[in-house]
Amino acid sequence: MTSQGSRSSETDMGYGPGTIKEPGFRYRPMGRDAEGMELYEIFIGPQHPASGHMRIVVRLDGDIIVNADPDIGYVHRTMEKLSETREYLKSIPLFERATIIDSANITWPYVRAVEQMLGVEAPLRAKYLRTLLAEINRISSHLYGFGLTGIFINHSTMYMWSFGDREIWVQLAEELTGARLTHTYIIPGGVRRDLPQGFKEKALKAIRYMERRLEDYMKIFVYNPVTVARFREVGVLTKNDASRLGIVGPNLRASGVHYDARIAEKYGAYPELDFEIPVMEEGDSLARLLVRIEEIKQSMRIIKQVLDKMPQGPFFADKYMRLIPPALRKHVAETGRIKLPGAFIRLKPPAGEAVARGEMGHGEVFYHIVSTGDTKPYRVRIITPAFRNVVLFRHLTRGARFMDLPVIYGSIDYFPPEGDR
Amino acid sequence: MDCPRSGWIFIGRLEESARKAADWLVNKTPLRSVRDWSIAFSLWPVHFTTSCCGAEFAAAANPRFDAERFGFLPFLSPRQCNLLMIEGTLTKKMAKAARIVYEQMPDPKFVIAMGACAIDGGIFYNSYNIVRPHEIFPVDVFIPGCPPRPEAVARAIVLLQRKIREARYLKREKKYESAGEVGTDE
Ligand code: SF4
Repeated sequence: MTSQGSRSSETDMGYGPGTIKEPGFRYRPMGRDAEGMELYEIFIGPQHPASGHMRIVVRLDGDIIVNADPDIGYVHRTMEKLSETREYLKSIPLFERATIIDSANITWPYVRAVEQMLGVEAPLRAKYLRTLLAEINRISSHLYGFGLTGIFINHSTMYMWSFGDREIWVQLAEELTGARLTHTYIIPGGVRRDLPQGFKEKALKAIRYMERRLEDYMKIFVYNPVTVARFREVGVLTKNDASRLGIVGPNLRASGVHYDARIAEKYGAYPELDFEIPVMEEGDSLARLLVRIEEIKQSMRIIKQVLDKMPQGPFFADKYMRLIPPALRKHVAETGRIKLPGAFIRLKPPAGEAVARGEMGHGEVFYHIVSTGDTKPYRVRIITPAFRNVVLFRHLTRGARFMDLPVIYGSIDYFPPEGDR
Repeated sequence: MDCPRSGWIFIGRLEESARKAADWLVNKTPLRSVRDWSIAFSLWPVHFTTSCCGAEFAAAANPRFDAERFGFLPFLSPRQCNLLMIEGTLTKKMAKAARIVYEQMPDPKFVIAMGACAIDGGIFYNSYNIVRPHEIFPVDVFIPGCPPRPEAVARAIVLLQRKIREARYLKREKKYESAGEVGTDE
């Protein structure tokens, strides 16, 4: 890995694994480098503000970061293993918990992979409803990231504003699905509920409000001289490095790579909608913030189109509708809510494999499912965006000042439970 | 105490007796209720996020639910905090850190365990990497739900305040006194 600034590689500094003996101190001298400067090691976390859940071991030469090592695994809850012990349907709530703030987007590719194996396709209306929820989730995920970025640089206003405004989107999602965060809305064959009455007006009102608020955000946070001074040209990720390290999501697009799984994979209602993928060339922390702001705008544009174009028709695949007993089917038609018979849990995809990917708020998520023809998967592999982006801690912080670390952390929008699964 | 000569009290070591007298005084009604009242309205949860319930915990502090009106504001250093919120699943690796954070907090300290995971594992009940919080700390209030709504967090705070004012909160028990296997890093 190339190092930035004047600092040379690890071996020149005369430290490495094994130099550190006694744990328990918050920082300790680590000997001297070639010029006789003392190096210090600081442990940050796992008890620290913002998303918590992780430790960063920072090695410092004065105020310059020589190396920052993310110590992940604090939220490793063994989801991949647990999914092998559960039926296909029961794994949806499980994977949702990886990114609870973006739960529609993380489970959608999983459901699509299961659908591929089962050979069903969701009806068009279900695809639009899925897209609707996914975009609502994307907005609330970005707002969550802003709030944490704000609290990282001690900008409490931004935390309060973006968490307060996030509630609007959480409430919209609640209206649609019945749950604040853990929707389990997208299930094999379609969605769990139809669009409630009066949803469109509420969503349009929320969009109008958010458009106004984003302008306020720009004034008070993004183009605030303090923020600009701290974010501009800090943690620059070049286009070359971004693609070489396999970075995904807004972090990749802020470095000038035009890649989005929504475009690449053409799933859901996205091929029929008109939206742009915001890309910026700078690759610094400010660009990563701005890309997210632009993405919120694009998501709102998508929501408007989805609500306008919402096709009529069933929201659950006919193949499974037939499993539902007639009395219950009538109930479904009246209330617009699926009530699944118990037999639905015993979905049995034929032996084989399936892969699917999708774009979350944090980046691209990838699923690989291996089935042996049983009711439970043989293996589910998830590659989450946070796990792919965690390498940035090491890469971007070299040569940066210590006080740039919170800014870089905030701008990467790392969500530890997602990375650790 | 029966004194051999009237007007004399045997006090033993002065510091010791003074400490005992102060303890006795603080635990008597007028002072105790003032003390408990003030503890109840200055709950400082330490900023320690253990799992996904943290998203709802953060939402509880936002302007819509505004947990600050209960005298409840997350703070950074465990040395100045008296409330540990376990926000969901506690993995083995995190449990060590949580125990260290708990040890660092000054007495009297309280623990709220949030979410089904913090009660008995919740959706991860058969995972190989989780710890049940009640095995390592004395928990004052459990919040059921997965995730509990922010209103439930607010209710837990009110419940804890009531417990404190009625002096019903848990004293640190013998069981939790030693750091044990979980608490130490070595
Ligand atoms: S109770 Fe639910 S929301 Fe809370 S940590 Fe556990 S799985 Fe996550």
